[in-house]
Amino acid sequence: MSVWTRPRLTSVIETTPLVGIVIGLVLGAIPLAPRLAGWVLGLFLVCCVARLVMNRPASRLPSLSVKMVLFALGVGGVGLTYGSMLGIDPGLSILLVLVSLKLIEANGERDFHVLALLGYFLALCDLFFSQDLLAWLYVALILVLLTATLVRFHRGADAGSYRRSTILAVTLLAQALPLVVLLFLFFPRVYGGFRFQFSQSLLGTGGMSDRLSPGSVSSLALSEQIAFRADFPDGSIPPMSSMYWRGGVLWRGEGLTWVAGPRLNQERRMGQLGGPGVRQRISLQPHGARWLFALDRPASEVRGATYQPGGYLQSRRTITSQFRYEVVSRPDNRETTLPPDQRLEAQRPPSVVSPRVEALVDEWKNQHAEPRERVEAALHFFRRERFSYTLSPGTYQDANALDTFLFERREGFCEHYAAAFATLMRLAGLPSRVIIGYHGGEFNALGRYVIVRQSDAHAWCEVWIKDSGWQRIDPTDMIAPERISSGLASYLESRAAQADPNAPQRSITAAGWLELQREMQRDARLLWDSINYQWDLRVLNFDEETQRSFLFSLGLGNVSWPEIVIWVGVVIALLLAVLALWMRRSRRGGDEVGHAYARFCQALERGGLRREQWEGPQHFGERAATRFAAQAEVIRQITSLYIQLRYGLTAPAPDSLVRAVRQLPRLTPPSRNPE
Amino acid sequence: MWYAGASQGNGAAYLLCFVLAGLALVSVVHAWTNLRGITIRAESIPPVFAGEDLAVPIVVSAQQGSHFALRILAYPGITSATIAELGVSRPQRAELRLPVLRRGCFRELPVRLRSSFPLGFFTARQILLLRQTFHVYPAPHGALPLPRALTPTRQPHSGTRVEGDDYGGVRAWQPGESQRHIDWKAAARGQPLLTKQWTGEVDEILRFDWQTLAALDTEARLSQLAKWVVLAERGPAAYELRLPGKTLPAARGTPHYHACLRALAEFTEIVEGEAG
Repeated sequence: MSVWTRPRLTSVIETTPLVGIVIGLVLGAIPLAPRLAGWVLGLFLVCCVARLVMNRPASRLPSLSVKMVLFALGVGGVGLTYGSMLGIDPGLSILLVLVSLKLIEANGERDFHVLALLGYFLALCDLFFSQDLLAWLYVALILVLLTATLVRFHRGADAGSYRRSTILAVTLLAQALPLVVLLFLFFPRVYGGFRFQFSQSLLGTGGMSDRLSPGSVSSLALSEQIAFRADFPDGSIPPMSSMYWRGGVLWRGEGLTWVAGPRLNQERRMGQLGGPGVRQRISLQPHGARWLFALDRPASEVRGATYQPGGYLQSRRTITSQFRYEVVSRPDNRETTLPPDQRLEAQRPPSVVSPRVEALVDEWKNQHAEPRERVEAALHFFRRERFSYTLSPGTYQDANALDTFLFERREGFCEHYAAAFATLMRLAGLPSRVIIGYHGGEFNALGRYVIVRQSDAHAWCEVWIKDSGWQRIDPTDMIAPERISSGLASYLESRAAQADPNAPQRSITAAGWLELQREMQRDARLLWDSINYQWDLRVLNFDEETQRSFLFSLGLGNVSWPEIVIWVGVVIALLLAVLALWMRRSRRGGDEVGHAYARFCQALERGGLRREQWEGPQHFGERAATRFAAQAEVIRQITSLYIQLRYGLTAPAPDSLVRAVRQLPRLTPPSRNPE
Repeated sequence: MWYAGASQGNGAAYLLCFVLAGLALVSVVHAWTNLRGITIRAESIPPVFAGEDLAVPIVVSAQQGSHFALRILAYPGITSATIAELGVSRPQRAELRLPVLRRGCFRELPVRLRSSFPLGFFTARQILLLRQTFHVYPAPHGALPLPRALTPTRQPHSGTRVEGDDYGGVRAWQPGESQRHIDWKAAARGQPLLTKQWTGEVDEILRFDWQTLAALDTEARLSQLAKWVVLAERGPAAYELRLPGKTLPAARGTPHYHACLRALAEFTEIVEGEAG
């Protein structure tokens, strides 16, 4: 039991590197904070402070029993908080509990290394939650700090300023850069075959759901988060107002609530689409589901995706990291026959219909025989009655939602209009479905791409019209046409401006100034976004597929992976050798005089005369001059120059010594034995 | 970390892994360079008895550049010397301590030079041989009593003795002489250090003979002889050491003392074989 009675140790880690590592750990933990249990974060911070306090000269580190109790409490507490040890959040909490305990027990070199590695690991964990450039810059900051701290720690007791360590850390990082680029481009990327994958809970970014109920889209509408970015490699950019990004099709409707419905048979595809193709390259932010978006309507295969009935793309796997794909869309639809199972689904009327709704639809049916006319009548209804477009339409009770919406409240968001319209169409005998996705986006003129945000989420409706197929009808267009042409943000802004009675009183210059400021902000934002986009394209999306095509473009398409790995190893070894050589050379710089004299001594040593450890330059010079009588003059000159340079009051130019040493011919050991 | 990056298909995490890998590789080069061009010399190593700690004073110097966080230890060392920063024209002194168990005369001592600078991911190591002759005397052990004093011949054996009955004046103190005989009173008066001398006749000689210890094995014999030498040096008598092939005639004093112990340390079986 000597372990239990072992005396408590005093800290041997110096305070400065300890502060560095604590800051690094705290910085690493900050982005994880929202996913941690509050008490874990508290424990971590307390441990950070406690460890720093323990570093005071008289304090001692906690005893083993205290650590054991803390460990049991920490792990048990995580178990109790989450009810399980598995999963991301409990895992992160346990990680931080362990970091906390390691922190208070850390003492000595090995522990310090473990702490630094834990810091790097926390930084890595940060990257699983956010991968954009800003997050990476933050992680890079942690990286520099931790590396500098390691350098500072290893420099030992009188280490000098932190700045010197930081400079060395940055130097190390800079020297590592070629290796990083090489590894990044050539190290084989593998995907798949891993059993351990974070579920969508990791990202929790929200985004689309496959259920359209009142409030499901408007909850996204205020989120500025980016859903995806798209560029158009062929240069043909369709007008904003016709950018309907198709994400999913909902078949089953009940009043205002629509769901995806049953699996339908595969339909014949692509051939039925026409019109000019619009090629898009979309880089999708991870959203934790299987949505893939493309302009209405996608007409080409996408790797790793299936083409669903209803004409939309769906990823085969959950999208938990940046995903980039290319797709061609064609706007014209030439379908002429509706598959029977789709027809069945698209005509299934809602189970409950209120008398008022029934009356309304019957009126359309009686007045118009033509399907197109019925559609027009419905649209006219939306236009004529005073519907208003709002982000906060309140809640509609499920059973009677449609009736309340159509005849009483008449306030809604695009999802209400799409759902109501599709339901009305079914009642009117027309097959219909609801399409969800995004509409429009923000065009970044700098990078020539479109940014689509969660706030661009949209729902619209499609109606089957005999002989012309599925037709897109966007009832929101009837209610708030500006919303469709200008995007939500500016629409809301303009409405707010109208509502503001003070607006006209503002002086023109102030308004102009505000306008300019806003413009500049917008430009800065777009610039930042295009840098971010490049980051996404070049770094985040560099996956197995991109790597393969990159290798192909280098003409290495059919070189096997083991060969590439070997070559990468060889090139890395070469780079390191170059670095080692370069460091040898650069270290020599500085003491020109000393090096010249060292060369002189080496030359004499090759000639068989060695300078003794105790021997001064004068004595040695005399000895050398006697031994190599032929070169006595040069040797004396070198010696006197060296002595003047080192000890003289008036120093000659160091160059003269260097030149003199160069004059020394190659000396050979005398053939006879000098003894 | 790589696994995490790969399993999630996370480009940013991949990049972080590669940065760390690159950093580790570059730090290997830095660690090596940090040890390049360092020379360690040993200054003269005071002799010790086997079983004691040998203290090795060293001078560490660099040929070029600066070197950081060097750790030097003899194998199997008990204390290591740490040098925080070593510059070209600033050699540094340090001391290594190591336990020595075997007696003998040694000509070189391996030391380990290591440093995990700059990052600690990798520790560069180097083994250097310090060329320096030093003696480890046999441990003074043995239960046998001192042999009886021999030949009270009443012949002055070595003229002046350091110790004797009659005061014989003073002479200049020389380093290495026992401090017990310094004329401290004179020193207190401000005079240089003087050694008091006594003259007298040698009363007895102790003869320590290898051949008389036939019952013991070689090392035990050497230890016994060393013990006698140590005891005799404290006593008043002169002593003589007889080893196969080598005899140190009776004398006293520090140089004789060390000469005897060196002879014991250097003793080899071959000599014994030839003698026997």
